[in-house]
Amino acid sequence: MSMSDMRARRGGKKAFLFNMIIVGQAGLGKSTFINTLTNHPTIPKRQCDDPAQCTLEKTVDIQAYTVETDEDGMKMQLTVVDTPGFGENIDSSTHFNEILSYIEHQYDDVLAEESKIKRNPKFQDSRIHVLLYFIPPTGHALREIDIELMKRLCGRVNILPCIAKADTLTPKELAAFKMRIMEDIAVNEIQVFDFPCDENEDDDETMQENLELRSLLPFAVVGSDDTLLVNGRTLRARQYPWGIVEVENMKHCDVAQLRSVLLSTHVQELKELTHDVLYEAYRSEKLSQLEGLAEKLAELNMQAQEQQPGSV
Amino acid sequence: MATNTKSIGIANLPNQTHKIVSRKGTTFTVMVVGESGAGKTTYINTLLTTTIKSYRDHTKRRDALSRKTVSIDVIRAAFDENNFATQLNVVDTPGFGDYVNNRDAWQPLVDFIDGQHEMYLRQELQPHRDDILDGRVHACLYFISPSGQTLRPLDIETMQKLGSRVNLIPVIAKADTITPKDLAAFKRRIRDAINAHNIRIYAPPVESETEGDDVVTPDGRTVKGRQYLWGVSEVENEAHCDFKKLRNLLIRSHMLDLITTTEDVHYEAFRSEHVSTDGRVVGSVARKDAKFKEEEDALRRRFAEQVKAKEAMFRQWEQKLIGERDKLNKDLEHEHSYITALTQEIKQLEDKLNKK
Repeated sequence: MSMSDMRARRGGKKAFLFNMIIVGQAGLGKSTFINTLTNHPTIPKRQCDDPAQCTLEKTVDIQAYTVETDEDGMKMQLTVVDTPGFGENIDSSTHFNEILSYIEHQYDDVLAEESKIKRNPKFQDSRIHVLLYFIPPTGHALREIDIELMKRLCGRVNILPCIAKADTLTPKELAAFKMRIMEDIAVNEIQVFDFPCDENEDDDETMQENLELRSLLPFAVVGSDDTLLVNGRTLRARQYPWGIVEVENMKHCDVAQLRSVLLSTHVQELKELTHDVLYEAYRSEKLSQLEGLAEKLAELNMQAQEQQPGSV
Repeated sequence: MATNTKSIGIANLPNQTHKIVSRKGTTFTVMVVGESGAGKTTYINTLLTTTIKSYRDHTKRRDALSRKTVSIDVIRAAFDENNFATQLNVVDTPGFGDYVNNRDAWQPLVDFIDGQHEMYLRQELQPHRDDILDGRVHACLYFISPSGQTLRPLDIETMQKLGSRVNLIPVIAKADTITPKDLAAFKRRIRDAINAHNIRIYAPPVESETEGDDVVTPDGRTVKGRQYLWGVSEVENEAHCDFKKLRNLLIRSHMLDLITTTEDVHYEAFRSEHVSTDGRVVGSVARKDAKFKEEEDALRRRFAEQVKAKEAMFRQWEQKLIGERDKLNKDLEHEHSYITALTQEIKQLEDKLNKK
């Protein structure tokens, strides 16, 4: 079923809702990437003008920005959650739980809403459908913080790992880096969104597309706030003394493919996975926790009653 | 004061000093600090135009990650340029800043620097000090991640601790990944942060760019650089790369200054705190590993040796006593057999008498 068919099914009036969260250390080009993706200054440039202040240890400053996009005729209300401050402390151990809590909080809202007798028709589903994790282009392999974050969050959200500032690596270095990252992901049993496809259900074209996308993981990202004139066309690009890197050029980086994944081709699948698998898992866990607590409470009540004979 | 119009050759002293120094050679120690992937190894190798430091072995990466420690690796190399011999030491600090919790990651670095000062001090206080091993750190390159924002808490804390002990030179790692405009702003913010936190540095932040191997440019030249799909960035081309400045700073022009500042300023500061008025070393830097363990081991060995010596002595005594006892036993036996023989004789004689 194509995108437009699904929209027709929905009635086509409400814009498609899609929520993503972007995580990574400072200076990796996350805001620039989002602004490139949405073609709009969605996330403002972070200024750090007080030098004495800038080095305090902080918590993650979770901020959501909403913007409307139109990709291939598909209108979408995209919400991007930014997480500045992640990994910047001397000891950043608490940051993982801060982000995890945010994601689970959105699930809690939906859980509460579902349990209501009279539901709110205007309820906005703010569950996160995909997490973009930006890996710094060291050229080596995953660091402890990368592994920890993806490990702790992959059970609650779809993760798409990306290599930030990929234009600082030569093609050979990039290929080797991608391979080592995927190795580390496999060894640590991290479940990332790897474009699952089913031989029986999907047609060849879809299979081919998904396998190709899987081979691109992690996506090499390059961002630019500026546009340059290249061969007569105005493009988003980065100018170096030795050449020009074009953001939309598939030979230079994977931004074009990533954009279509996030804004058109895999939107539905990411949402379905979030709702049918990740949210359901959270729901069962939460409810059985509550059941467990309820049982315990009942037990304690019984014990209390036994200890006080004649109070029944 | 009379002025001498005829030269007597004193002006030749600098030449003589030059000959003396160049015959002696010198030692130069540089420490590199920064997260992995900052480009430290590439930097050192490019600076010295030799692969002095080997590149990381990725197959062992998981063990390193699980150990969660900051280690100190010293790489030593002997250089000979125009008959001037230099012992060059590069101190690497793998594991620094690589973990989720980097609390006190600077401690091993500080311990090493202080330890080298202390080692020199102890040697200097010896009666014979003509063959001193000098491992004192003359320069410390601190690699700052090119976030484009500002210094991070770990950078500030570490640089404060290092700046007061060693000549600290901040280096912006992989600076060519930031646009020139942002780079200038970044440098400014770093300088502001350094001033705001009273960090002592030897030189203002220098940029390091990504260096490379031999590649062929589109117009047919073979240069040292990095090959991208969109072009080749050349290391030696000043329009592309700035690292020549740092090489000049470190080696060509400022090496002597770095050495003398280390000796005159940092070492003297250490010395004045750690030598009491009667010439003994006090307040020894209690290093939890190397030196402390060494002393412990030495003491233990001495103790074990003394115990062994005493034991050997006792054993000797024991042997002597046993020997004496044996001898006495033998004498006893001898007497005994003599007595037995005599008794026998008596009996025989008695028998003889009785028979008569």
